[in-house]
Amino acid sequence: MADSFTLPLRPNLEKSDRPDTLPVEIAQINEQWGGFRDVNEEVLLAKLAEEEERGGPLDSDEDGDKKEMDTTERREELYKRRAEITQFAMASHMETMFALDFISLLLSKHAPRQAETSMSAFLKQVAPVGSLNSEVVHPPPKPDSVNKDISTVSRGWRIQNFNSAANKLLGAASRLEKEVEAETKYWNSVLAIKDKGWKVCRLPRERQSLGVQYGFMEATPVFRDRGLASLRRGNDGSLVLDQGLVPSGSRFVRVRVKRGSRITGCTKPPGASSNDAESIEQRILQARDSVFEDELFHELVREARAIASCGVTTRQNLIQIPAADDLEILLDLVDTNDESVHTEQESSQDDVVLANGVAHSIRILLSFAHRQNLHRRTQVPLPLTPKRRPNPEYHLLRPALAYLQHISEARYLESFVHDIVTTLRSSGFQVPEFTAQMFSNWNLPHHHSSPNALEGLVASSLKPIESVFQGNLLTPNSVFTVRMRTNMSFPPFGTHYDVSFDLPSVPDLKSPGNLSLREEVEAAVAHLLLLDVVMKISSVEADEEKKTEPDTPAKRWWDPIYPHMGELLLAYDHPEKHKKLRIVLSRDQLSLETYLVRCIDGIGIGAAEGRSQHTETKTWKLQQSPGGLNQQSSAMDFVTAEAST
Amino acid sequence: MATLTNDQIKVLEQSRQRLAQLTRSLGSLIASLNQSDPLPPWSSLQSQASIISNNLISVSEQLSDHRDLLSTLVAYPGPEYPGRTQANTLEQLLRTKLDPRVEDWVERGRIAGTEKPPPDTFAIANPSLAATAAQKQLTEADLAELWEWAPIEANEEARRRNWGGNFTLEEREAGIQNVVTGLRKQLEDDEEEDDEEEEEEEEDEGEEEMEIVGVHRKSGGNGVEFDIAPHHAHPVQPVVPLSDILRYMTTGRMS
Amino acid sequence: MHELLLFASVPTHQHAELLQQLAGLTAMQPRHCFERRLIFKAYRKPGVANARVGASQDLQSGDLQRVNKMLNGGMFYTQVVGPVQSTDFADAGVTDAAANANPNPVNPDPDTDTKMDGMDSESSIPRSAYDFDQQSWQLEFRDIPEAGTRSAVTSRVMATAALPRGDIVPSMNAWGYSFVTEYLVEGDMFIHNDIVLNLHRVLHYPTTPGEENQPRHQMPTLQQMAPLEKSGSYVLQASMMVQDGSNQETMKTASQHLFGLREQLKSAVRLEMADRLSLDTRVK
Repeated sequence: MADSFTLPLRPNLEKSDRPDTLPVEIAQINEQWGGFRDVNEEVLLAKLAEEEERGGPLDSDEDGDKKEMDTTERREELYKRRAEITQFAMASHMETMFALDFISLLLSKHAPRQAETSMSAFLKQVAPVGSLNSEVVHPPPKPDSVNKDISTVSRGWRIQNFNSAANKLLGAASRLEKEVEAETKYWNSVLAIKDKGWKVCRLPRERQSLGVQYGFMEATPVFRDRGLASLRRGNDGSLVLDQGLVPSGSRFVRVRVKRGSRITGCTKPPGASSNDAESIEQRILQARDSVFEDELFHELVREARAIASCGVTTRQNLIQIPAADDLEILLDLVDTNDESVHTEQESSQDDVVLANGVAHSIRILLSFAHRQNLHRRTQVPLPLTPKRRPNPEYHLLRPALAYLQHISEARYLESFVHDIVTTLRSSGFQVPEFTAQMFSNWNLPHHHSSPNALEGLVASSLKPIESVFQGNLLTPNSVFTVRMRTNMSFPPFGTHYDVSFDLPSVPDLKSPGNLSLREEVEAAVAHLLLLDVVMKISSVEADEEKKTEPDTPAKRWWDPIYPHMGELLLAYDHPEKHKKLRIVLSRDQLSLETYLVRCIDGIGIGAAEGRSQHTETKTWKLQQSPGGLNQQSSAMDFVTAEAST
Repeated sequence: MATLTNDQIKVLEQSRQRLAQLTRSLGSLIASLNQSDPLPPWSSLQSQASIISNNLISVSEQLSDHRDLLSTLVAYPGPEYPGRTQANTLEQLLRTKLDPRVEDWVERGRIAGTEKPPPDTFAIANPSLAATAAQKQLTEADLAELWEWAPIEANEEARRRNWGGNFTLEEREAGIQNVVTGLRKQLEDDEEEDDEEEEEEEEDEGEEEMEIVGVHRKSGGNGVEFDIAPHHAHPVQPVVPLSDILRYMTTGRMS
Repeated sequence: MHELLLFASVPTHQHAELLQQLAGLTAMQPRHCFERRLIFKAYRKPGVANARVGASQDLQSGDLQRVNKMLNGGMFYTQVVGPVQSTDFADAGVTDAAANANPNPVNPDPDTDTKMDGMDSESSIPRSAYDFDQQSWQLEFRDIPEAGTRSAVTSRVMATAALPRGDIVPSMNAWGYSFVTEYLVEGDMFIHNDIVLNLHRVLHYPTTPGEENQPRHQMPTLQQMAPLEKSGSYVLQASMMVQDGSNQETMKTASQHLFGLREQLKSAVRLEMADRLSLDTRVK
């Protein structure tokens, strides 16, 4: 009995040693399953799965409740056990104290000084030192039955303790095995993630846990800090990506194009790139995309508010940008899996392309902004001042906005110039072709490989956009140039035109300078062409004179008396028979009108000119068909004919 | 009847010392339980339990080794003992009847020691119980033989294993350079060291007893924490103090 | 302007690891830097210096004013700092002699190089494409750290100004400063928010007769440079600039930022304020 003793560390285990619980359980199992023979893991798993299916979500809810109950219960249990241990320890302590007191008092007769040290204070008080005598006696030997009983008790406990030790060891071994298995699984998954190139690190606020960094280091702090999720271990060793309080699920910024009241283009949610949607890698990717999209929308809203003066409105979860004419761009943050998002609209291919283009550009520009942040924060910082450094909005929308506005304005101008030139051509004037150089200041670098070239490319899209229209005119050495720039990144915002020209026949003509309304440009170009036509008409006679009979008396010809009004005068000896030619040029019509003026020298204008009722009018309208002259005579024929009558 | 010899007193004194140790360690367990909420760290609980267990063993051994003396020794109050006023204490001190709880414990041992082998169903549910069932049928002599043999055998079995180190036996056989740890830091294969330690301990233990197997837990017990402090094979401390470097950088002179 | 600093000594065995730790902390790659540092010492009483000298015409007038103010305040040691590239150092093995012996640099014979080295190692000086005349310089004035500051951070008045390129000694002489010595600072730089972290060490040039009294016009090979601290240890310097040192609020913020960093790095290095007298720039 003396040579083996294990102290029960876990008192509750004794319970299971009692022979009554197991038979009860066995009886239950026999009743339910009809013996152990047919019960194996597969059958049990199948049964569990079946029950789960039948139970549905209700079951799992119950499970949740149970778990919660368990934690409080376990706590109570823990305190109960603690009290038991304490009680047990105190009882044992008391017993050993008695024994110690006894032997100390006994010894105090022989070695009082030593013995006294281990006597309790109480005993010292009541019993004088050496007050217990002892003697060796020779009692009759104990009967065999007593010895046998002792050895039976000893053997009994020994067997029981061996059993319980063996059970504990086996239990610990299988627990350890499971744990090793789970750890192996967990670490293999962690390694797999690391091998894919993800950054695995310790969590800053939870040093003993691992995390994976998938976010963007250069994002605004709130989003940067969201780029880290912990890699927790499930009970079975599976890897669980724990993003904390961040809503899971995936979102994306949807771009829609609206013309008038119709949605004509819409971006599609990014499809899952792999069919293994639940793999940890996929979940990390999804988390990364979501944090990027969330940040993107956050920055878009911030920028939209900053450019509210351009008509951009923000409402809850929607940014509305009037881009150009009736074109509107709508941006919102939507759930990737939300089915209602995918409603097919009557869409045009071009506008789908446009929507995708905007969607890509804002994402590229956010990445660009991240890179700029990196450049900025790794520069030697400026000295600290009490002023807070401004945190300017990124340029995400503005370049797209500038592009849309520019292309709309440029197309308008192009079609205007095209139309007015066509109108002139249909009247027989041989106006040379004009050239349109769209986005003339975008120089694509030849080498796209280096990061600097890439960043340079993106940076150039933040600069004002420029297009140039240029054409030769009818009169020799005459040219016009319209240079348009659109800028949304810094004031002055919007599109600005610079109309310049070279018109030697009208020497004192001043440039209209910078214009900012398309109507003004239209008027300037039309006016320029009108002047050109006037000069062209007035110069024809001189040319002809040189070629033909130089000795004949000068024929009468049109004199550009008021070129800016489009008026020419055919002087006549008779004071009241001056003839006036009036040219009106608009985008889709050129009209020539001749009439007699009765004022003496013919230089009167407006009401003073004394216009006669008799007029000859000829009109050429814009023809979109390339047929050229339609039976009608040309404008030159008309003026020549009018000059000779 | 005879008074105690010096040797006998020595035995009693030994018993007293061992009991005193046991009392102290129980006292400290109670104190540490009272000081912590809900419980002291498991490692400290476990080490305290093992200390108590060892103390108990040593008391138990003492009682067993000197049973001849102790069973023939009688104690009785001397005339100095205030028998009239402190009779209760005396009774408590000289009590030989077992505490009811202990009585119960003895009874349970008695039942377990005489019990018939349990039904066969037990054996299926739990292999270790099956072993018990088999043991039950052994004669007392067989049991004694088994128990004589088992601890030594178990001990030897345990010694064949390496209970520490960074690599498993299989990994070491396959060559530790092939192990993918995913760690930048080079893990040391401390097999050599461990072996030495183990051998030392083996010797130590051998002198005492072969009973407790593999209890050479690392001191401190809680070897769970990472070792963050960098481990350098050849640390070289700077010779020139920082202030001298700064002075040189400022003036071009060291002093 | 004020400069707030903390320092730590970093033993050589810890260097690589600390580099990694700092890269992790600052989320940036280390920026390797070399700086030539020339120490100048005032030799005449302040107020008599004439700033209108030699090459100073290519200085901005603001810089000129600042230089005058810095140099005329008292008798100080001051530093002229010039950044150099790793390509400015001579290539190991290509020496004057070797370059002469082998005029075709496109196809240098490695054998000759090593032989020449072996034969002539004492006197041959490796050459590089380093152009001393184009070396840019910056004057860095530092006052002695403020005394008795209760905060556990080194704080001192500082100012910097651009200097003309090339040989700066005549200008400095005209300002009343004489050349004392020069050394090279080699190390890595990190930026952590407003804090500049320099993990660097002082390297000595190989001693060449005749070059001790003026800044060298040639750069040796890096291999020829020897650390001042023989064990090869580094100094970690965390610094922060404050525009207006009289603004207590900003100074406090700056110290707190430095203390925050000290806390973050405490398991790796112990950042402390420097011994005030070791940064004493006054000429005695």
